[in-house]
Parts: sequence; structure tokens; C-alpha cells
Amino acid sequence: MFRKVLVANRGEIALRVVAACRELGVRTVVAHSQADRDGLPARFADETVCIGPAPSRHSYLNRLAVLAAAETTGADAVHPGYGFLSERADLAEGCAAAGIAFIGPPPEVLRLLGDKARARQAMGAAGLPLVPGTEPVEDAAAAARAAPDVGYPLLVKAVGGGGGRGMRLVEAPDRLPEAFRAAVSEADAAFGDPRVYLERYLGGARHVEFQVLADGQGRTVHLGERECSVQRRQQKVIEEAPAPGLAADVRERVGGLVAGAARSVGYVNAGTFEFLVDGDGRFYFMEVNPRVQVEHGITEAVTGVDVVKSQIRIAAGEPLAVEQDDVRLAGHAVECRVNAEHPETFTPSPGAIRTLVLPGGPGIRVETAAHADHMVSPFYDSLLAKVIAHGHDRAEAVARMRRALGMMVVDGIDTNLALHLRILDDPDFLAGRLSTAFLDRFLTRQSAAAAPPGAQPTIEEAAPPPGAGS
Amino acid sequence: MDVDRIGSVLDRVLGLMREHGLAELEVESEDLRILARKAGAAGASGEVAAVPAGEAAAAAAAPAPAGRKPVATVVEAPVVGTFYRAGAPDAAPFVEVGDRVEPGDVLCVIEAMKLMNDIKAEFAGEVVEVLAENGQAVEYGQPLLALLPSADRRMS
Repeated sequence: MFRKVLVANRGEIALRVVAACRELGVRTVVAHSQADRDGLPARFADETVCIGPAPSRHSYLNRLAVLAAAETTGADAVHPGYGFLSERADLAEGCAAAGIAFIGPPPEVLRLLGDKARARQAMGAAGLPLVPGTEPVEDAAAAARAAPDVGYPLLVKAVGGGGGRGMRLVEAPDRLPEAFRAAVSEADAAFGDPRVYLERYLGGARHVEFQVLADGQGRTVHLGERECSVQRRQQKVIEEAPAPGLAADVRERVGGLVAGAARSVGYVNAGTFEFLVDGDGRFYFMEVNPRVQVEHGITEAVTGVDVVKSQIRIAAGEPLAVEQDDVRLAGHAVECRVNAEHPETFTPSPGAIRTLVLPGGPGIRVETAAHADHMVSPFYDSLLAKVIAHGHDRAEAVARMRRALGMMVVDGIDTNLALHLRILDDPDFLAGRLSTAFLDRFLTRQSAAAAPPGAQPTIEEAAPPPGAGS
Repeated sequence: MDVDRIGSVLDRVLGLMREHGLAELEVESEDLRILARKAGAAGASGEVAAVPAGEAAAAAAAPAPAGRKPVATVVEAPVVGTFYRAGAPDAAPFVEVGDRVEPGDVLCVIEAMKLMNDIKAEFAGEVVEVLAENGQAVEYGQPLLALLPSADRRMS
């Protein structure tokens, strides 16, 4: 096992990694920005090192500063958390060159999966069903020739893309040239790679993802799936495990395919395979997230497997302790992402938290780095707390969540708690009638109901393409 | 400059620091200079400007300019790494307390990932204090040395 792990992240996930290391008896160094000097991850770490000023690009995204911090503090492993540098092959390579373990997949796997076109090809070859689509297309004319086979509506997607950037939804052929040009220039600007490809747009689909653990010593298991359809602009809002209504034999079949696909590309450590599931229950591979995921806690709740400790153990060379047959799902878990944002306008709400009352009690787990007198920084994302409710079944999990959020107090800043509580009462949500369009429809209904006669709805947004927030 | 005004300026400075989550804030006007730094932030450098530690934040208000003591400038680590005062284990330190330096003179080095980063003086002045220990790990923003700018610079 490692002696000392450097945590190259912030907020709740940095605290989660510190907690996992403590349980494993491993010392921690939290690499933080100047804005996070007094944060809980720094407070509970054994050591801290400031790696740069508040803006992420000079601190949490500064690969060389992270490597220098790891080397200078004598860390023998780096945990990158999610976001920031977590999927960067060059960080994994830099760690290897310095003789430091990277707690994640090998660099060549990160490189393969970071190229959406190559990842698609590799996963298709490994037997995962793909959304109908193309290889990278040369120009607008080539796109127009390929489009009829893909079918409309379709997405123009960046090869190097992610998080919805470099992506355009095209409803009809006459809109394609303009969307193509926009996607290319956005992809070039955002990822330094102008290549794009076409993919069928599955409008009413659900977002379902499988969690995988691979020890690199011949054992690869899946921990079942998570339903993450409740999302807004690629950002997941509520996740649950297992997916409502997914039959056990489907889980076994798709999970088996996923584990096989992970094996086929030499996958090591924790990873998530994201799929769209259409109205007929057909799965289509979307992408692999080669890192721990925000919503890993619901999988931990229903399987009893600690994903973060597993990551650290795998990187330290330990074989997985669980076999596929040991993985059993117990009950149902729901996660609500409580964000520092206005519940209706979604405007971020940085500022000082005056009072914070976190819920507890049976079946409730809260992951947060917030506390009373805590400053929600304008420099980083708005995730304030993850509330996870676990119950014997979905109804009990939802009831526990409703009770927990109703007993949570955040004074001083806006949060989306009220939005969560409204969703938890929605008949479609309660019936498990979910799709990636659910939340936009829900918000449109809400604003229509709230608006006085003749007034403009306050929230008007085109349905975003389905896809992958972290 | 009366005590009430200093108090109200201090309140505003500390409020700004809290509001923006700042570890340090320096404000200077014609007759007042305030350097406020959160306790525990960046350590000893505050002492150079004679800044005492307070409960939530350390702050000092120095009357000026008549008879005002010149204030040293702290050179902070621009990168994480290991601080060295000399270019080699058996070499003499680049600078000692009392040395005068010109812009571009090497003050110390920080080793990060096998690379030696020269830390150079940005202005002419005198080394008044060495704030980091030779061979010590330093983090971003950590005070390394204190330089007293030359008189001509202080006038400008």
C-alpha cells in the first residue's frame, strides 16, 4: 500500500479521497489553490501544499504544479478525483516518469478513450452496440452525404469533445452546413482538434451507465448500473441505482458486455461506461469516463463496495477482493446534487454560508466540503453537497430523500433544494418515467403553471442533446 | 488620519477579503498602507511589514509618509518545489542578508521535477531577510526573501 497519496482536487471529492486514505491508513497531501487554503480537505489532510492562485488553470489544471507538488512532498501516488486533470494522459505519463503511481487507468487507455472516434471504434469492435453514426467527416459536403444513413435528427460531435461542447443538434438537412461549421470551430477552439463526426440523436432516451472495476491482474467486474436521466444541459441533477425497471437479465447481459469491453482495451482501475437506452430498451454506447464519478456513492450504497478505496488498492497493485458473483444489489439509492444556484434561474450563487444543517438518520449519507461560515467560491463549480438516500426499495429511498432535504438548511446562499423537492413529488419521476428530456419538460411545465396569464415563461430552453455530464 | 477612519478602512478591507475569499490584501493610499493577511496564510512574511497576527485576519495600519519606515517587499515562490540558496551543495549562497541586488540577479533557486528555476530580483534593493530554509519544500506563494527596494524606487 502507498505511504502518502497526493490529492489533486478540491471540494467534496478531495475530502472523499482523504477519508478513504484515512481508512486505509495512508497519509494524505492535499494540493490546493490559494482560495482553498482553509477548506476542509486541507484541514483534514496530513499535509497541504499550495499549488497556485485561485483560478483553476493556474492551480488545479496546472499539471506541472501537481507533479512538482507530488515530488516535493514525497507522495508515492496521485489521486486526481474527477474533472480537472483526472482524464489527462499526460499527467498519468508524468507520474510514471517520476516513479509516482497515478490512481486511474494507464496513459494509453486515457488517450484511446479521450478520442471519441477511436473509443467508439474500439467499443464497437468489443461488441458494444453503437449509436448509428460515422467516422470523422472531412467537410460539410461529406457530412451532407453521410447524414441520410445516420438519419435526422442528428448530432455533430467533436472527436475531442465532452460535456456538451463542440456538439450541435441538427433537426433537418438545411441546418447541417451551418451546424457543421459551428461545431468544427467550437471543437477547434475548445479542444485544439477540429475533427467532428455525426451521430443519430436519440431524443427520448434514458441515460444509463455501468460502473466497472478492473485490477489489471485479470479481474474485471461491473457493479451494476446508475440511471442519470434527470439532467439539465449535460449536468446530472438526480441519479439513482439501480435504473428503475431494468430487468436483472438485461443488467447481467449488458454488464457482461461492458466488463468484456473494458478487458479488451486493457482497462485498469474504476471507470464508467455511459449508454443511451431508447424507448424499446435498446442500449447504445456513448462514452467511457475513465475516473471516479460524482455519483459513485449510490453504487457504493447498493453494492457495499467502496469505489474510492478500490481505486487506491488497485493502483497499489492489490487484486480486487470481489468477484462478479459476489456483487449483489441491495435496495435502491438516490442521489440529489445540491448546488449553490438559484432553483429557477440556475444562476450560480457564490457567497458565505451562515448556517448549515446537514441531514442524517437512517439511510442518509452526505458528501460535502461545505460548513457554516464556509465561503462558496466563485472560481469553481457550484456543487455544494451530494445527498444520498438508501432504502429497501425506490419508494423508501425517495421518501428518505424527501425527508432529508426537507430537514436540510443552507442559509446565506441560494440552493436548488426546492427544485429537488418538487422533482421528488413529480408523478413521472415517481413512476420512473424518465428520459434525458425529463427535466426540461418538467421545468417548462413548472414555469407555465407559475406564469400569470399572458406572461412569458421565465425558462425557455431548447432541449439539449442527451449526453454526458460528469 | 484618525483612528476611526483607520478602523472603517480596516473593516472594509477585511470584509472584501471575506467576500472574495482572499488570503491577503494590500491597500495603499497617500497616507495609509494596509497589508492584511489571514492567520496561517503564507506565514512569516507578514512580520517584515510589521504585521501582527489577529483573530481572523492580521492587519497593520502604518501612518505615512512622514517618518514612515520603508517597507520591504516579500519575494514569493512562483512554483512548488525545493528551495535552495545556492546553485550547488558546496557553492556559496546567491545572496546574504545585507547584499545589494540589481534587477535580474538570481536570489535563489526552486527545484521542481528535476528542473532548477532561478528566482530573480525584479528591482534593485537590499536583502533584509531570508525567510525560507535551504533545502526546504516550499509551496506556491510562500515567502522566500524580503527585499528592501532602493531609495530611488521608493520615491517613485
